[in-house]
Amino acid sequence: MSDRLDDLERRIDELRAGVRKAMRHRDPATARTLRAELRSAERAWDALVSGEQPEVKAEPPRLVTVREQVHQGLRLLGAAAQPRLIVAVSDAFFGGTIRSAQLTSLRRDEERSFRSSPHGRPYYLCAALTDRLSAARGLLTLSTWPLERRVVGPLSPRVDFLTCAIAVAEHGEEHGAGDGRAARLLVRMARNIPGATDGTFGPPVPGQVAAAARAELRVHAERDTRDRAELAERATAQLGDTARLFGAATLMTIKKENAK
Amino acid sequence: MSLLTSLARLRALEEGIAQPVATVRHCHLSARPMVFVPLKLSGEAAAPLAAMLGTERERPRLLVVTQPRNRDLRFAWAAELAGVLLPYIEGFLADTETVERRNADPYERAMDAPQLIVPNQGGVAFTRLLGRSTRFRRPDGPYPVPESVPVLGRWLTYFGERAAYPGSALMLAATEELGRHWASGQSGLEDANLAALLAWITTGPSEEAEDPLVWPPAGPATDPGFDAEVLAPAIESGKPERVAEALRTQLEPTWRLMWQAIDLLAGLPEGASAAQRWEQDRGSFSGMATHLAEGAPPQARRDGAVAAAARLARMERAQAAYDVQRAYDDPLVMAEYRLTGEAFAGEVVETDPDNTEGEGRSRKLRPLVVIKTDDPVRLPPGATLGTPQRRAQGAELVSAGEGLVTVKITKGMGRGRTAAPGAVPEVGERVCYTSLTDDFQGSPQLPEAEATPWTHGGPPQDYVPDDEDAQEEWS
Amino acid sequence: MPSERLEAGRPAPRGEAMSTQHRLDALRGTTPPRPHDARAIAALAANPGCSRRALMDGAGVDKDAAARHLGFPAPFGQSPFAITRGNVFEALVKADGCAELLRMLREALGLPVAEVAYHDVENVGAHLRHAHTRALIDRAATGGQDAGTLYDHPLLTLEIAGHTAYLEPDVVAFQLGGRFHIVEIKSFAVIDGQADPAAVAAAARQAAVYVLALRTLLEELGHDPLQVSHDVVLVCPENFANRPVATLVDVRRQLAVLRRQLTRMTSLDRLLAALPEDVTFDLRPDEDGRPTRPVAELADALRGATARYAPDCLSTCDLCFFCRDEARQEGACDLLGRQVRDELGGVASVAEALGLADGTRDPAVGQEEIARLLRNAERLRRECLT
Ligand code: SF4
Repeated sequence: MSDRLDDLERRIDELRAGVRKAMRHRDPATARTLRAELRSAERAWDALVSGEQPEVKAEPPRLVTVREQVHQGLRLLGAAAQPRLIVAVSDAFFGGTIRSAQLTSLRRDEERSFRSSPHGRPYYLCAALTDRLSAARGLLTLSTWPLERRVVGPLSPRVDFLTCAIAVAEHGEEHGAGDGRAARLLVRMARNIPGATDGTFGPPVPGQVAAAARAELRVHAERDTRDRAELAERATAQLGDTARLFGAATLMTIKKENAK
Repeated sequence: MSLLTSLARLRALEEGIAQPVATVRHCHLSARPMVFVPLKLSGEAAAPLAAMLGTERERPRLLVVTQPRNRDLRFAWAAELAGVLLPYIEGFLADTETVERRNADPYERAMDAPQLIVPNQGGVAFTRLLGRSTRFRRPDGPYPVPESVPVLGRWLTYFGERAAYPGSALMLAATEELGRHWASGQSGLEDANLAALLAWITTGPSEEAEDPLVWPPAGPATDPGFDAEVLAPAIESGKPERVAEALRTQLEPTWRLMWQAIDLLAGLPEGASAAQRWEQDRGSFSGMATHLAEGAPPQARRDGAVAAAARLARMERAQAAYDVQRAYDDPLVMAEYRLTGEAFAGEVVETDPDNTEGEGRSRKLRPLVVIKTDDPVRLPPGATLGTPQRRAQGAELVSAGEGLVTVKITKGMGRGRTAAPGAVPEVGERVCYTSLTDDFQGSPQLPEAEATPWTHGGPPQDYVPDDEDAQEEWS
Repeated sequence: MPSERLEAGRPAPRGEAMSTQHRLDALRGTTPPRPHDARAIAALAANPGCSRRALMDGAGVDKDAAARHLGFPAPFGQSPFAITRGNVFEALVKADGCAELLRMLREALGLPVAEVAYHDVENVGAHLRHAHTRALIDRAATGGQDAGTLYDHPLLTLEIAGHTAYLEPDVVAFQLGGRFHIVEIKSFAVIDGQADPAAVAAAARQAAVYVLALRTLLEELGHDPLQVSHDVVLVCPENFANRPVATLVDVRRQLAVLRRQLTRMTSLDRLLAALPEDVTFDLRPDEDGRPTRPVAELADALRGATARYAPDCLSTCDLCFFCRDEARQEGACDLLGRQVRDELGGVASVAEALGLADGTRDPAVGQEEIARLLRNAERLRRECLT
């Protein structure tokens, strides 16, 4: 190995000199090529000297699958949610091991599975539907929920957030705050709900958070329920099984609308 | 920048090498400076990535955060940094002298003080932010940190503030100091690049200086190319040695440049007033140490309006004094004032050492000196003058014209009937007079009672840090 | 003086003049146009006196590609860490139905609790986004009952010298009581109420582009453009935590500068008239998009358009190293920065200034004063250094 290192070092020196020379002769093109080579030689040297070995990542024993953990999280929240929040809930209450990155391809896998054998599983992790009936970006829902809960009108992101906050507060209250993770999650949510904290720096009181969230919820409820009912009706009328769970292709939806 | 400096830049451009704009060194240079080259994680306000530091050029210490997104590792890094910096700083406190003050108790002043040297203004700003992000931490409570971290934070804050104080040498930025002594043939903006500026001073401009592959940036920002191609994969690999090695390649070249900069500055003789400013630095440093020892709270997040105004006024006074002192210490700086007509120099062609004014008891000795000068004098008769050749002396302009200036000595020629020997310049002597004056004559200034001990000015504010300060996440 | 320079200065033949648009297209040639984003548009105002830049931007020339081909790649680059950090912060601000953003708007602007309606324009296909944005904004401006509050990922347009630039702000346009505000999310920190002034200025310039685009849209739709506020909401992380904080920033000045520069760009005819008719900045990309134009030829063509190099270019324009090199070869005082240039009061070249200082050159009319100063300065430097 040290032979190779020596070779590389010699090569690096040569290349460095070459770059300098090219710069002096105002030959930036050559300098650029040499510099690229220099960089890869240096990288090769780095790799060799630090004795790079194939990576063996120690995965923690996974007792519950990613899919199940997400299901668990969503069931607790009870409303459409972003991966970030699902991960945080799973982490706070179920000792979850998932990371947001693992959730990106989930919906596509679920759709594939559904297409190959429809309704073959007790539940699917599926999309939330926009006012275009397409899949809303970055939101997950459960197939077992009524459609009204799975569609997003203009007020729904806020309503869903408040619903999730109530769920987190109540779960925390029932099962004890547990360790700091649950408390931190509640702090983060409470901060953005008027009246949920009394302005001091102490940990928020779960009951107060839930009450504050309910109070704001009442402001939005009527219009949101109406919007959702209308959307759900349209989805039932216009979408087939798969699209109802995973969202319609945008263009198709538009065409249908135009044809009306 | 003055026309004189502009001319020096033009000359540098033509000659292909930087030109001197000072003949003496205007900053005190410690015998054992702490060279500090910090790097930060791109996109974050004050997330440290690494630092190379030390007082010996052959033995740099490398401190690395091998997983920059890990909060605990950042604080561990801060603790390591404290482990190097605090002993260095505190080492200066043992040896002190007692200083008497008018209307106040005498105080102990350190015989020597620490000196931090960073590559550029960015390094100063980053030091200040590091100080800000660590000084409110607590060794107890919800997010405990090692005990040394908040102490480090307060010192770094102090050094950062001190760096903004005109004439202070407790914390220097290499590019600033070099730029004060040499004019390169590039713009001030480009002078902020340490490698480029040093190239201009030593060998002439070099394209390589701007090539991050040859000379990595002197920090605190890293080269984006390095981040993408080297650092990110190294961090990904999860191997701390690899991250450390990668960062070493970015820091080592700058480390060498830093010592080169110090050598260059050390090659200049120290200006006459530098020691006096350093004495103030020592006083301020001792004050800060006392303050810390007395258990005062950390520096406030922000100055109140009154404190801010007072600070501004203090800085302006310090700036004015610094400008005057540099001119007195250095004929090349004085030349700027000669160019604008606020100073003139030339040869003494005639003297009347026994000239007197008034009659009887109010009769006063007022020696007259006539100087022949090529300088454009723009001073009115009666203007108060000082002279670098006899700093204790005061004079007044009598008349000027046709290249001849008559000056009347009013102060500092002795109390006798005739002027003390040597007080009146001889015919043939070269002298310089200027309307710039500073009361630095006589006994060196002591910090005023209420101005000490805090950072050479202003008693510290009452600031009670709350829990929020301590809990603030470090991004 | 090199001959191509003289040629470049030759007045263009009038004749049946090509339309401005036509000529700009010819300047760009076969190189695909570089779409302007808000950052690029904001940078247009950086060096308004530079004809070279005005022409290149007007023609939609990819300056970055040109600089690389010339062997003077721009010294800009963004660290992946900074990019990730930016994305993470933006996601945080918008997470959970913009919960953080709503909190800040409620606190800072008194947004009523009922106002939470959120429209993600990106829910429609890319080709429809602009139309969808128009429809939504129209509805909101009309003040319909169900007008929304937050509009995420709107797609706006702005005419730049005859080209339509599409702006995909990572911003949310937000309306309250029939007034729209641009929300700009930036990941630089505000520490103890203070942020890097350069970063704030850049954010304000960029936000001004969005304000202008949104105003233009309202005007087209027959609404009062002033329904768009000149106060933009700047959202940044506070101190060292990730917690976002909102500040109102008045961008009236930036708007004025931008408008002036855009008007200037629509009057490129004058600049075009100074170029020979057959000049082009074409890179002649081959099938793989690699430029094939001989470098010397491209450099000559560019030199035909007068530059106005200043060290500030080093942080604002892709062509900076090329223009700096040119300024060096010409021995221009501009190299040393505005301060030096101003100090020299109109003496443009290094040789000229030094000639005046040495007394080897006689001052031209109007240069007497600066010549006297320079001679004096030279005398003093000599005296002090020997
Ligand atoms: S770099 Fe060149 S083209 Fe760009 S603005 Fe400056 S002078 Fe003009």
